[in-house]
Amino acid sequence: MADAIAKPSLLTKDEPAQPKALVLYRPTAKTGLISWLTTVDHKRIGFLYGISALFFFLVGGLEALFIRIQLFRPNNTFLTAQQYNEMFTMHATTMIFLAIMPLSAAFFNFIMPLQIGARDVAFPRLNAFSYWVFLAGAIILNVGWFMKDGAPNGGWFGYTPLTTSTYIPGHSIDLWVMGLQLLGVASIAASLNFIVTIINLRAPGMTMMRLPVFTWMTLVTAFLIVLAFPAITIALVELMMDRLFGTNFFEVSNGGMPTLWIHLFWVFGHPEVYILILPGMGIISEILPTFARKPLFGYPIVVFSGACIGFLGFGVWSHHMFTTGLGTVATAAFAVTTMAIAVPTGVKIFNWIGTIWGGHLRMRTPMMFALGFIWLFMIGGFSGIMHAAAPADAEQHNSYFVVAHFHYVLIGGSLFALLAGIHYWFPLMFGRKVSEFWGKLSFWTIFVGFNVTFFPMHFLGLDGMPRRTFTYDPNMGWNDGNRVATIGAFILGIGVAIYFIVMIITYFKGEKTALDPWDARTLEWGIPTPCPEYNFRVTPTVHARDNWWYEKHHQEQIAKENAEHEKAESEHGIHMPFQSIYPFVAAVGILISGLSIGAIDPNIGFFSGAAAPHDVIGRKLGIVLIGFVIFLIGVYLWALEGNEGYHLHLDGDHGHDHDDHHHHS
Amino acid sequence: MSTHAHAAAIDPHDDPTTTTGIPNKKLIMWTFLASDCMFFGCLISTHLIYRLHPAPGALVAKNVFSIELTSFSTFILLMSSLMMALAVDAIQKGNLKSMRGALATTIFFGLIFLGCQVYEFSHFVSEKHMTITNSMLGTTFFTLTGTHGLHVLIGVIWLTSMLIYSYTGRLTEKNAIDVEMMGLYWHFVDIVWIVIFTAVYLLEYVS
Amino acid sequence: MRLLALPMFAASWLDRLGFGMDGRQTTMVVDGPVAEAQRQLFFVTCWVTLVIFILVASALAYATIKFKARSEEDEHAEPPEQSHGNPLVEVGLIGASVLALVIIAVPTLRYIWWDYDVPVERKGEAYEVTATGYQWWFQFQYPTEQIAGSGPLITANELVIPAGRPIHVNLRSVDVMHSFWVPKLAGKVDMIPNRGNFLWLQADHPGYFWGQCAEYCGDSHALMRFRVIALSPRDFEQWLDNQKSPAREVPVTAGQARAQFASLPLEYKEFPQNAPGVSDEFDVSPFDHWKEKQFPNKDEDAELISKGRQLFVAKTCAGCHTIRQADGKGPMGVTGPNLTHVGARTTIAGGLLENTPEQMRRWIHNPGVVKPGNKMWALGYVPNHITLEPSDEVALVAYLQSLK
Repeated sequence: MADAIAKPSLLTKDEPAQPKALVLYRPTAKTGLISWLTTVDHKRIGFLYGISALFFFLVGGLEALFIRIQLFRPNNTFLTAQQYNEMFTMHATTMIFLAIMPLSAAFFNFIMPLQIGARDVAFPRLNAFSYWVFLAGAIILNVGWFMKDGAPNGGWFGYTPLTTSTYIPGHSIDLWVMGLQLLGVASIAASLNFIVTIINLRAPGMTMMRLPVFTWMTLVTAFLIVLAFPAITIALVELMMDRLFGTNFFEVSNGGMPTLWIHLFWVFGHPEVYILILPGMGIISEILPTFARKPLFGYPIVVFSGACIGFLGFGVWSHHMFTTGLGTVATAAFAVTTMAIAVPTGVKIFNWIGTIWGGHLRMRTPMMFALGFIWLFMIGGFSGIMHAAAPADAEQHNSYFVVAHFHYVLIGGSLFALLAGIHYWFPLMFGRKVSEFWGKLSFWTIFVGFNVTFFPMHFLGLDGMPRRTFTYDPNMGWNDGNRVATIGAFILGIGVAIYFIVMIITYFKGEKTALDPWDARTLEWGIPTPCPEYNFRVTPTVHARDNWWYEKHHQEQIAKENAEHEKAESEHGIHMPFQSIYPFVAAVGILISGLSIGAIDPNIGFFSGAAAPHDVIGRKLGIVLIGFVIFLIGVYLWALEGNEGYHLHLDGDHGHDHDDHHHHS
Repeated sequence: MSTHAHAAAIDPHDDPTTTTGIPNKKLIMWTFLASDCMFFGCLISTHLIYRLHPAPGALVAKNVFSIELTSFSTFILLMSSLMMALAVDAIQKGNLKSMRGALATTIFFGLIFLGCQVYEFSHFVSEKHMTITNSMLGTTFFTLTGTHGLHVLIGVIWLTSMLIYSYTGRLTEKNAIDVEMMGLYWHFVDIVWIVIFTAVYLLEYVS
Repeated sequence: MRLLALPMFAASWLDRLGFGMDGRQTTMVVDGPVAEAQRQLFFVTCWVTLVIFILVASALAYATIKFKARSEEDEHAEPPEQSHGNPLVEVGLIGASVLALVIIAVPTLRYIWWDYDVPVERKGEAYEVTATGYQWWFQFQYPTEQIAGSGPLITANELVIPAGRPIHVNLRSVDVMHSFWVPKLAGKVDMIPNRGNFLWLQADHPGYFWGQCAEYCGDSHALMRFRVIALSPRDFEQWLDNQKSPAREVPVTAGQARAQFASLPLEYKEFPQNAPGVSDEFDVSPFDHWKEKQFPNKDEDAELISKGRQLFVAKTCAGCHTIRQADGKGPMGVTGPNLTHVGARTTIAGGLLENTPEQMRRWIHNPGVVKPGNKMWALGYVPNHITLEPSDEVALVAYLQSLK
């Protein structure tokens, strides 16, 4: 990422610079490891999210291939029962929390502030903290692969009482519980930041009804995260207390009710589905107008339906529980709300078709993925409506029909949109673009592989094959469907491999692009690549919904306006936040605490030797406290160093780079 | 941008650096409180669900609680909210001295509340034989009220550091927004307690 | 005719690929009113969504093809009209979607009430059983069939019901969550600890049905299977009589031929890991096999059986299993499946293995390999240091096989 074209200048504080403690001097590195550990630049943080997400996407994909190899033929012995259960638990947890969500977060971070004409998010250090805590959670979730007790194997839904220590003792579930709690903290902190940013840091003239749809969906998603994650966090806290301190929340013999967990989980779990898909819908709503070369059809109704999905998303959770004996009234109510939520979802599809209708479609790779998204998401949506018919769902629930359904929504939907987004914004981020041939080849391989994998699963489900089963007998009629699905999974895997290899090659050697290679419509395309640290030389003034398109067609007016604003702004310069190491330090403290609560067995490793039970607890508590103290120090110094920054004064000369010498206030 | 915040005191009702005029810190606190509502909502639901579906032989809450003590501490917490409001008002008017007085009283009341809770917990454990592990009531009660107590504790620490910084010069009338943000948190913690007091204690005495 | 050729060709291919959906647990070929209602509703949803899909997908395909840029010139042509939408179209489409959903909603609501419990007018003829989930097997209780001195009739893993009558199944769990699912008879309902769920189902005809746990319940969830056998009312009564009677005993009489237990050699033949537990021969006519199973085996070796009976106690099997004897004594364990008439079942090990001497020996030879994590292994064999000599295994199998 680009270094600022900066002429450093003094301060922000009025009072004269005072000598201060060493720990309060702010890091200034712009390259190298320290610069990444201390960055508060939303684009760099977005990049970190993106790289981590893609890494975990490959891990989750590998787990999926292992699952498919095991099911390739009946009574296969590739994996043991426990390994298989670890695989499907971690495949789901990884794909949801460590791949799709952070990949969305990468775009939230990188693109959203640019789309609203902001120079950063509202709380840059909190943003860095969110990423580092996310990484800590991701490490804790996956560390089980290297431990004696193995990876978490209670399913991503973690239904009690299976996940209580009676049925799965050992650390695997502790790790899962700790990891997910941290991911919750990270997601909530990041979302608070995005909400404030979108509401408060919009450029002049950027009214709410001029926000790009992707930004709108970011806002809705952020609200969903803020309101939905507490439910699972509390459920996890309760489960953790049961496991570690012997409380009774889910202790059946003391009156604990598994249904409480199921409700808490799905009160989170269903909004989570929309947390996964709404950003994708936002991306699609950016790509289609760009490549159709006309505005989004029915913008207000697309935005409204997005918000509507967000609201209704909190009222449909029990459709995951149709088979738990809810009773007739509750089942009927949730069946009806579930059907109702199909309407705003359908509206979006109509509007996307309306967008390409009458357009001049340029079939570039991002557009291919976007159109693929509509097709596959439509199929996933329709099988979703089938599940809303509760009595029919009694047969489909927990069968491969459901597996087919949500992969159509999550791969065909979310993932296709995110892959489209990577292609779409790649030129903006890295100044290069993927060759059309290789891009389309990866698209078609992924598209074909995906359908070959998941379409047969509809039939498997209707033929009575239950999910989460590590083996099946040859006489059940599931052999061919599974064989086809596994072959499809490998085609899909090859497609993803092509996608990644092409992406990496393009990063180094791809065709260089000029400003705005797609003739796009929204503000982010107005800034050069690599994107300067301060984003916009002049804070843009927004005149229209597709403001960059407007600027391109009203160049004189904009040039005049910018010149005026630049003059006004150059007096005080561009305000930039200082970098900080303390978000990272605080997250390291959290990682140590979390790992020791979840994993470190004082009887192994460097604490070898037999220890009495209370010694074990004492030692564990010791490490937890060490982590906690590091966390407190991080947070305290973070608060103490303050949210200071410096001012940049830009040269007229674009090509000229200055060294950064920061004068601390 | 938020980083402008410290350059000058921010009018709590109109911050020119933000689109809406609402200071960023105020907005993030409101949003956080919305999230915290859901946290407490889930804990309170857990408590009520298990209260409505007690296992055979479960503890009877009425025999454990001592409503007089809790009413007293509830009243004290309410009064601390009043003092907090006075503190915010004082600093918004630039009156640092009277803010210090109000903050100190808020902290004092917060500590009384925490003291009552510590006494209540130890009384329940030693006299009423209700622990966090021996009964569902103990599990949900201690977790819920303990989480609330933790919120009060964090608030007290936060208020105390503000009080100290008001003497060292780090906290001046320019930081009215910081005090106001803290005030929002404190009022929220107070309101949540009123809900908990009603749902956990008072409902036991209905009929 | 030519119009039909394509779909028929497609269907034949789907069939050839094994998507004919006529498997053992298919939801498409059913044998009871509950599953039939659910199947009908599925088709309603299927047709409605299919019609919408065809309409929307055609519009999408048409727009994609029609408005695609075809040449360099197209690509750089002036952008089209920058239109922002059409409220009338929007509202019309929303109205149409709502209407389509109503078509699904009406039968959905009707069936939600209908398949919840046995219809009022048929309550009188309903038969009640209680199914309980264990890690990883099912216990079935018949609360209306009381046996003097030992409570209700209890069996395991094979639920025998009268055909043509509504069955009210109470669903319970003693450990984690399970789910009771016999796809051909009814959709699933979960078995949740501390919660009294139930469902109803009916088999229209006598037959043999496959079922499986449908809620992830730990290591061997995939191996938690069961069967439902529907019998004509007369056969059912006869079956009940037999089940209510105490365990069958084979008296050792002097001078009896000491035939080696017919099909089981002393030497143990290893099975490959996860090898299928059901033979093709069984698979052709499972119901007939079930009927055969009700009769005593030929060539029974009374002495071997007697030795097996002693071993059953000596090897601590009796700690977990009940084998109800005429004298009211004998094994009374309740942690594992009731084995009083285990020889008359077609499957063992939670519906996993066919109930043949070889498979039964495979099961008791090393249960931990057959069903990872199961309690017989983890809480029985391992802590009690149980070792079985080949001759012990043969005797135990002979004994258990004799329990008709």
